[in-house]
Amino acid sequence: MMDKYTKLQMTGIYAAVTVFLIFILLPFFEMFMASLRPLEHLFRSPYQFWSDDFSFQAYRDMWDTVPLLGRYIINSVFIASAVTGLTMIFVVPAAYAYARLNFPFKNGSLAIFLGVNMFTGAVLLIPLYRVLRSMGLLNTYWAMIVPGVAFLIPQGIWLLRSYLEKIPRELEEAAFVDGASRLYTLRRVVLPLATPGLIVVGTAVFIGAYAQQFLFAITFNQQRELQPLPAGLFEFIGYQDVTWNQMMAAALTGILPVMVIFLFLQKYLVAGLTAGAVKE
Amino acid sequence: MATLELMSISKSFGSAKVLHDISLAIRDKEFVVFVGPSGCGKSTLLRIIAGLEEATSGQIMIGGEDVSTAHPVDRGISMVFQSYALYPHLSVYENIAFPLRVQKMEKAELDTRVQQAASILQLTDKLQLKPGQLSGGQRQRVAIGRSIVRNPKVFLFDEPLSNLDAALRGDMRVELSQLHRSLDATMVYVTHDQVEAMTMADRIVVLNGGHVEQFGTPMELYHHPRTKFVASFIGQPNMNLIPATVSAADATGVKVTLTGGHEMVLPVEGGRVAKGDKVEVGIRPEHVQIGDGGFPISVNVLERLGGVSITYGTLGDGVRFCASLPGDAAVEEGQPLALTVSPEDCHVFDASGDVLRRMSAPAIAANG
Repeated sequence: MMDKYTKLQMTGIYAAVTVFLIFILLPFFEMFMASLRPLEHLFRSPYQFWSDDFSFQAYRDMWDTVPLLGRYIINSVFIASAVTGLTMIFVVPAAYAYARLNFPFKNGSLAIFLGVNMFTGAVLLIPLYRVLRSMGLLNTYWAMIVPGVAFLIPQGIWLLRSYLEKIPRELEEAAFVDGASRLYTLRRVVLPLATPGLIVVGTAVFIGAYAQQFLFAITFNQQRELQPLPAGLFEFIGYQDVTWNQMMAAALTGILPVMVIFLFLQKYLVAGLTAGAVKE
Repeated sequence: MATLELMSISKSFGSAKVLHDISLAIRDKEFVVFVGPSGCGKSTLLRIIAGLEEATSGQIMIGGEDVSTAHPVDRGISMVFQSYALYPHLSVYENIAFPLRVQKMEKAELDTRVQQAASILQLTDKLQLKPGQLSGGQRQRVAIGRSIVRNPKVFLFDEPLSNLDAALRGDMRVELSQLHRSLDATMVYVTHDQVEAMTMADRIVVLNGGHVEQFGTPMELYHHPRTKFVASFIGQPNMNLIPATVSAADATGVKVTLTGGHEMVLPVEGGRVAKGDKVEVGIRPEHVQIGDGGFPISVNVLERLGGVSITYGTLGDGVRFCASLPGDAAVEEGQPLALTVSPEDCHVFDASGDVLRRMSAPAIAANG
């Protein structure tokens, strides 16, 4: 096996991992701590790491401060799911075509997709706004879904294409010889074998959709009932004060369902990202 | 019922021409093996027959019908791939049933067909397993099962045994021959292994560089190789080729002087060569005996296999020579050894590698 490290090396490795994890997780931890403190204690000086007035009061109050909070959470999940679903509908056949078929301008168009990926949505906000306005999509769910799909398709194609290319061509040839059409082969042979890849791509797209919806929501949507959570969190910023503890509580609550799903998908994610890397 | 005819098939990939004007007529129920070194175009030719590749020019007829542009299913072929190409997520049952599912065959009939194929291939108790749980030989049989459920007219095999270990390969060769007899179907089989070709084929197509070198029965190829390439490809160990010079030639024989000075009169059709021509004399290792009056070799390596002793040595001037001698032959490494061969067993190839046909050969070599 590979674990031929000395004690000293192991200590170093674990120290590095610890520093890294603290760096990543500290904000979440601080969010959680902030959500537990009463508002008036948040800015107490000197900073107190532990106090005995921790409570889950903010988790109860937040629903009253922002009555639409539940709606926002549902909107967030709905928008991200819709973006993911629509993106996959476009990505699966496109990635299959890029993996298997030959057509003119194939490599060129792939390069363009990669180029598009390098723009953030922010650069294109104004043209997108005009497009959405002329299509009459402003202030609807579509205003947040359509741009999301558009920006995530290239990434999805790149990810899934490389996965599909690893499926042996002979399997498809065998299906072809047995009379199966391309679509039948895709449905019965390729996609079942690509399930880990589909889950990886679906997850990546979902995360992307979740992350980018804030920008599109605050630019293209004025309807309160349609806002996703990241935009809805603004409502914790009042005229007088910001209820930070409730905002943190709401943010954590909003992330929770997604985190639970990822915990279950974790094994596919790891398997999918490394599948085919080693000859079995 | 299903003859297979190839008419001037050519294939190019870009500027590289891989098949040159190939014409073959394969009879109904015949087991034909395409054999040749890697890169000779044998797999490409099979894929063209299957419909996986399109020929650049030429026609394919199956059962008298032109199927050059037809879909594989409409050609009535089925194919077994080198890697088996089993669907890892489907059970053995579903793998075998796949072609029938594509046809949307009715359930009861489908089940009968799958069970029938499974019983022919002794897979009945493996039907619920996934391919990953099977041994190499069993996977091979599943792949064959998938090809026979459709009752195709022509079976195509693309090096199906090359992934198996040597012992299993021997067993599968016998199974495939039996399958051919019980199915009574036309089979085309691609391999680079001349032993598979010799043991299973009714007739063999030897391909080299995209050309058909020879098409004939195994014994015809063995006794009457038409070219030097076929001669050295067929037979194990390989035929010895000894440079020689013609000292006299007529229609009934050629007198040659082997390199090293030994003279022989060989009964071959000598019309095409004249005195002074350079030729090569082909001598099969198994046709050599120990005895005086022939040519001496010095033995370098001796392989005693029990039944035979394979002797590798060199002639006087460094030309390699291999002899297959009896198991108990009194041979020692590092010692000189006197060998003889009867002139009737020798082959003669002219400078371009074409054979001067031998006058006599066993009856078994007659055209099949």
